[in-house]
Amino acid sequence: MDDINLTKLDEIRAKISQLREKQKTCITVCGGTGCHAYGCLEVAEAFKEEIGKQNLQDLVDVKTTGCHGFCERGPIVVIQPEGIFYQRIQLDNIKDVISKTIINKEIIDKLLYIDPRTKEKIVQEKEVPFYKKQKRIIFGNNGFIDPTDIKDYIALEGYKALTKVLFDMTSEDVMGEIKASGLRGRGGAGFLTGKKWEICHDVESDKKYIVCNADEGDPGAYMDRSLLEGNPHSVIEGMVIGAYAIGASEGFIYVRMEYPLAVENVTIAVEQARKLGLLGKSILGSEFQFDIHIFKGAGAFVSGEETSLLASIEGKRAFPRQRPPFPAQEGLWGKPTNINNVETWANVPLIINKGTEWYSKIGTRNSKGTKIFSLVGKIINTGLVEVPMGIKLREIIYDIGGGIKDGKKFKAVQTGGPSGGCIPAEMLDLPIDFETLAQAGSMMGSGGMIVMDEDTCMVDVARYFLNFTQEESCGKCVPCRVGTKQFVDILTRITQGNGEEEDIKKLEDLAKTVKAGSFCGLGQTAPNPVITTIRYFRDEYEAHIKEKSCPALFCKDLIVYYIEPDKCVGCLLCLKSCPVDAISGERKKVHLINQELCIKCGACLEVCPAKVGAVSKYTGKKRDRILKKSSVERAEK
Amino acid sequence: MNIVIDGQEIRCKAEQTILEVAREKGIYIPSLCDHLRLTPFSGCRLCIVEILGRKGYSSSCSTCVEEGMEVKTKTRSLQKLRREILELILSEHPNACLICSEKDNCDEYKSTIRKVGEATGCVLCSNNGRCELQDVVKALKIDKVRFPSVYRNFEVKKGDPFFDRNYNLCILCARCVRVCHEVRGASTVSFVFRGSESVIGTILDKTLLDSGCQFCGACVDVCPTGALTERALKYETLPDKETTTICPLCSMGCELEIKLKDGRILSSRPSGTGAVNQGQACVKGRFLIKDLVYSPKRIHKPLIRVNKELEEVGWEEALGFVAQRLKKFKGKDIGLISSPQASCEESFLFRKFAREALKTENSDSTAHFSPLATYMEMARVNGLKPGLNFRIKDISEAKVLFLVGSEIAVSHPMIWLEVLKAVRAGAKLIVASSIESFLTRYSSFYLRIKPGSEFYLFSFLCKAFLEKEQEPDASKSDSFEPFKKSLEKLHSSQVFEFTGVREEDLKEASEFLFREESSIFLFGSGMTQSPFGSQSVSALWNLASLTEARLFPLGLENNLRGEFEIGEKFSRKGLTFDQIIGAASSGEIKALYLAGPVPELKKAKMEFLVLQDSFKSENIKMADAVLPAATFAETDGTFINNEGRIQKFGRVIKPVGEAKPDWWIISRLAQKMGKKGFDFRTPSGIMEEMRKASPSFLNVSYPEQQKEKKFLPLTFGRFSVETSKAYPFLLCVEYNLDFYRNLSLSQEIRGLKILRDSRWIKMNSEDAERLKLKEGETVVVESLSGKINSVVKISGLIPRGMAAASLLWNEEADFSVFNLFSPTPQGIHFSNVLPVKIKRGK
Repeated sequence: MDDINLTKLDEIRAKISQLREKQKTCITVCGGTGCHAYGCLEVAEAFKEEIGKQNLQDLVDVKTTGCHGFCERGPIVVIQPEGIFYQRIQLDNIKDVISKTIINKEIIDKLLYIDPRTKEKIVQEKEVPFYKKQKRIIFGNNGFIDPTDIKDYIALEGYKALTKVLFDMTSEDVMGEIKASGLRGRGGAGFLTGKKWEICHDVESDKKYIVCNADEGDPGAYMDRSLLEGNPHSVIEGMVIGAYAIGASEGFIYVRMEYPLAVENVTIAVEQARKLGLLGKSILGSEFQFDIHIFKGAGAFVSGEETSLLASIEGKRAFPRQRPPFPAQEGLWGKPTNINNVETWANVPLIINKGTEWYSKIGTRNSKGTKIFSLVGKIINTGLVEVPMGIKLREIIYDIGGGIKDGKKFKAVQTGGPSGGCIPAEMLDLPIDFETLAQAGSMMGSGGMIVMDEDTCMVDVARYFLNFTQEESCGKCVPCRVGTKQFVDILTRITQGNGEEEDIKKLEDLAKTVKAGSFCGLGQTAPNPVITTIRYFRDEYEAHIKEKSCPALFCKDLIVYYIEPDKCVGCLLCLKSCPVDAISGERKKVHLINQELCIKCGACLEVCPAKVGAVSKYTGKKRDRILKKSSVERAEK
Repeated sequence: MNIVIDGQEIRCKAEQTILEVAREKGIYIPSLCDHLRLTPFSGCRLCIVEILGRKGYSSSCSTCVEEGMEVKTKTRSLQKLRREILELILSEHPNACLICSEKDNCDEYKSTIRKVGEATGCVLCSNNGRCELQDVVKALKIDKVRFPSVYRNFEVKKGDPFFDRNYNLCILCARCVRVCHEVRGASTVSFVFRGSESVIGTILDKTLLDSGCQFCGACVDVCPTGALTERALKYETLPDKETTTICPLCSMGCELEIKLKDGRILSSRPSGTGAVNQGQACVKGRFLIKDLVYSPKRIHKPLIRVNKELEEVGWEEALGFVAQRLKKFKGKDIGLISSPQASCEESFLFRKFAREALKTENSDSTAHFSPLATYMEMARVNGLKPGLNFRIKDISEAKVLFLVGSEIAVSHPMIWLEVLKAVRAGAKLIVASSIESFLTRYSSFYLRIKPGSEFYLFSFLCKAFLEKEQEPDASKSDSFEPFKKSLEKLHSSQVFEFTGVREEDLKEASEFLFREESSIFLFGSGMTQSPFGSQSVSALWNLASLTEARLFPLGLENNLRGEFEIGEKFSRKGLTFDQIIGAASSGEIKALYLAGPVPELKKAKMEFLVLQDSFKSENIKMADAVLPAATFAETDGTFINNEGRIQKFGRVIKPVGEAKPDWWIISRLAQKMGKKGFDFRTPSGIMEEMRKASPSFLNVSYPEQQKEKKFLPLTFGRFSVETSKAYPFLLCVEYNLDFYRNLSLSQEIRGLKILRDSRWIKMNSEDAERLKLKEGETVVVESLSGKINSVVKISGLIPRGMAAASLLWNEEADFSVFNLFSPTPQGIHFSNVLPVKIKRGK
């Protein structure tokens, strides 16, 4: 298969489809990083072993696929072609699945997903509410593809877009198509992709580069990782098409070392594509040549900033540099370079295949297509969700995400990673696109979505994110390097109850300075979590500063744990679990916390039986009273 | 193009940054990280400006002007933002004094309190009064810092020579990082860690010494705060006077800015306007000048030997004594040795004195052992007239640079900086040497050749060129055919045998050489002092003629060119330097006038020895009269540097003690001896006479390389220095200018001794292990003709079976590499390579 051309690719595709048309049963085991952690590899191995034992090789295949997105319920197994969805599969379920479902076509009830609202058992994957409201045009194929086998991708129309581009379209056509689709960069700022390509295309140079930015660094975000792990060829195909449009001959995938599976799968994918002549000289027999290198980054957040990323590829410290000149004018080693994010590249083949008209019907006026979010935090259905632009936050959080865990109240959602902001409950009906999020003081970013409930202290959230940017600042410019540190110092002080009256003003001033004065996007957006939490949760700041209380009962220095005398049944559970022996009491007698010894670990609250519910947290005046009482009691003793 | 800054229309050049334009027009924009000679960094964020039509603020240091650009530099919001950013900087920098309301009242105590170990405020900082941060605080009128100040509590790094690093004062402007990488090519320091923990540091936090630092001091000079401070200046007050002079410590002659207080030198820094050095210097010019001038080895008063003891006397008596005694000797009985470190005027005067007062032709200096001498001798023998002049700029504009026989980063730092510029601009650097150096990391090709094999290297390249170009332009020359024919005798096997480089590697290197135009060969004493130096120069001449390359010989001494020009103009027939030394040892010469460094004359049988120098040497023990000479800093005159550039220098301080300039001593002495024509009052008077004697002298010209090509036929022999069982090591002798007159800088100045002790014998760790030698151990190095002591220094750059030592003329006899060479009736050939054995000392 070393020399491939247009007809041969079609032949290969036909052959693969032919082989697969026999409607052979296929057990697909999700091989995403989440399911990895749950032990999906052992599950897949066990399936293979069992099939071997029962001699069913001709009847059924086992395939480890890309991420299905519903990480909360891993390891996930979907049996095709029926689409039977089994979740949280354990090794001792495997025999059953083979004997009952595979051989006898019988559904195993206990492995099905139960809709927590209707209590209904759901058999098919697509019927699961988590998937129902999604529009998985980018992510959809993940579940059908073994990322280490290029044939799977080819069978699903893979590299068809590339064929079309190479033989039926000029580079101008391609750029026109991408421009018309309205595709905007999925990496953060949302610049029009087609426009970006055009700028790079128009610069004259003997050499041009393209780069895939896979330096996903936002805490809690992992959609680029899952795409590279689960469907690397969609990214590669996008890159080859982009390279053709721009006129680039070399490309880099900048992926962080901390993503070992992504590195492995994308490396395999590049090698397989090269072997098939989809990369390298004379791609598909055309005159176009292009190849891709994998560059492993050391995992600095700032390397996601395009100029730092380029510096890093050049072997320098990842410092951002002055723009203009923009990378499209002077990028890698001074040559015009176009940089797009993983998800953006993955959109490209889709647009070419299905057409601009189809694509631009999805989404809002200015934000087209879908967006993948990683939905994490205090949410029932943790996972990766792909939704059309314009969907309401409420739909994502309640319909797809299944609402807040443990029946708690929703408080805010943080979008756009550490550079984004916190959006409060009042704005849950916000249709999500680039503009609305920006207006709300947050940003699309790469698509992190961290859900917070009533127990989350917003001052602490701001401190957490600023601590992240403080550690990840490259150290080059003063406002970012020193400013973020000052933010952390002030916010820490506030959460410790040492806030001062003018601190809010100080934070706001500092936010302006850091925003306006910082050199690159990292610093310019770093104050966002502070700005939005002050904007939407000012009362929490004031409570911390003026009343020395934490309304969310989170900040350790501002709360006490207290055993309600009227509820305590004297079971000794909390007393035994206290790591510092701060609880005194006897069986059937009310227990008491020695506040001086208490380290506020919360163990007592956790072990106190729910029906008893004797341990409470208090802040503010009530806390002061309890502390006072405790010290009086000790003094009396 | 035109731009508007603060409403003012300004004409400017397209490649300028806004900050540059503003500075030219006297518009002040505060900035801390920008530096004239470095690439913009945009880290301090103080130089931000508003540009009409652009979002947010742009840093003026990194934004280039565009036609019609409208810039505002001083809006209220800008000033406010700058102040806030500066407050952030100050929150990490000791700021108590900067915003102290009493800051003007503690002047009296400053000099005392500075002596504390840690600088926690300006008055405790050795950079007080020189600090750019202070200037910016003043300009932006900061009187409070709203953020709590953080003392980062880094340990002050004091483990290196010459300067301390206190990163508690560092504002991370990255100037040191940039100058070290961009300008000097050493890349010793870099950013370490990230976020708020970012700091400047070396690899694995090693000392600078262990990180490849050259101690050029460029980082100290660009540091805007007191983070990098010269140790010698730490407790000094501010200077009251500044003047410039020319550094006499290599052949390039950097312009130095000398800071003085009460007529005493405080420090020397490279002058920003120096034509050769443009704000750069090396360890010698930057850190040694003061210690050199005030060395404890200085001779303060004239001395004469009375009853076997040297006694201090006045000038009149001393000169009278010397004049009277000298009259007894003349012609072959007497010799004079001067130094290529003296000025042109003094050089001229020494020769005139020798000829007219001493009536001898025996006057010479170490100029005899320079690449210049070998090159010009080759030219003279073959009737060639090569131009010697070049411009340092030519090097940075070259496309190919071929460096052979010179460790330029040490011996010619300014040439190295130009080479680096060329490499950065895409030029190919080819280095051929036996010992690798740090600059080979920048070379496109490094050829590790066997010592002394340059002849074969060049001959091979000539042949390769002729194979490639059948009919070169040069073939029209009459001398071409005999030359071409002589090359037929060269066989590839010989090339490999003698050079040790594989033919493929040579061919590959030759590709670079032949492809590009404007090639330059730089060659130093490492090539010309080899036993086959003159053959190598001939081969190189042929190669340069074929490839139309230029040849730049790299001499060592500051006035080597001047000495040479004078020597050429006023030709010499007597004994050469080594012959004079030999004759003094054998007693053929009865009286010697020493005005330049020579090896210790332990066994010399002389009747009368005069020592005219600034510093005591071992030879003082034998001297009958000692005349204290002033250093370059205490007189004025002219040097001619390696380029042929005429460099006037002026007096910086009064002579130390009763020292007098050489020209004064010689003039007076000649007069005392009753000679006419020596009544000079100033060096310019001497210059006048020189002009009369040779009108062309000092006419600056840059002669073209000769157009008519002449080729020299080559003879191939067994050109190789070989080791034997008895002498298993090849010792490479490095010719360094780590001395000034009779002062050995690398012995007498501690910092330089740490960096490169002249008594080191550098060797590979494997060899040392085999001989069970440890670093710092004293060993005996023995050649066929003599033995000396050396101190073991382990170096990864030395190949196995080789060792390296440096030759200083005035080294003590027990340590002088000089004593490894054998004197012959024709003199001594100081070769750069000889077989030795090394064994543990007692």
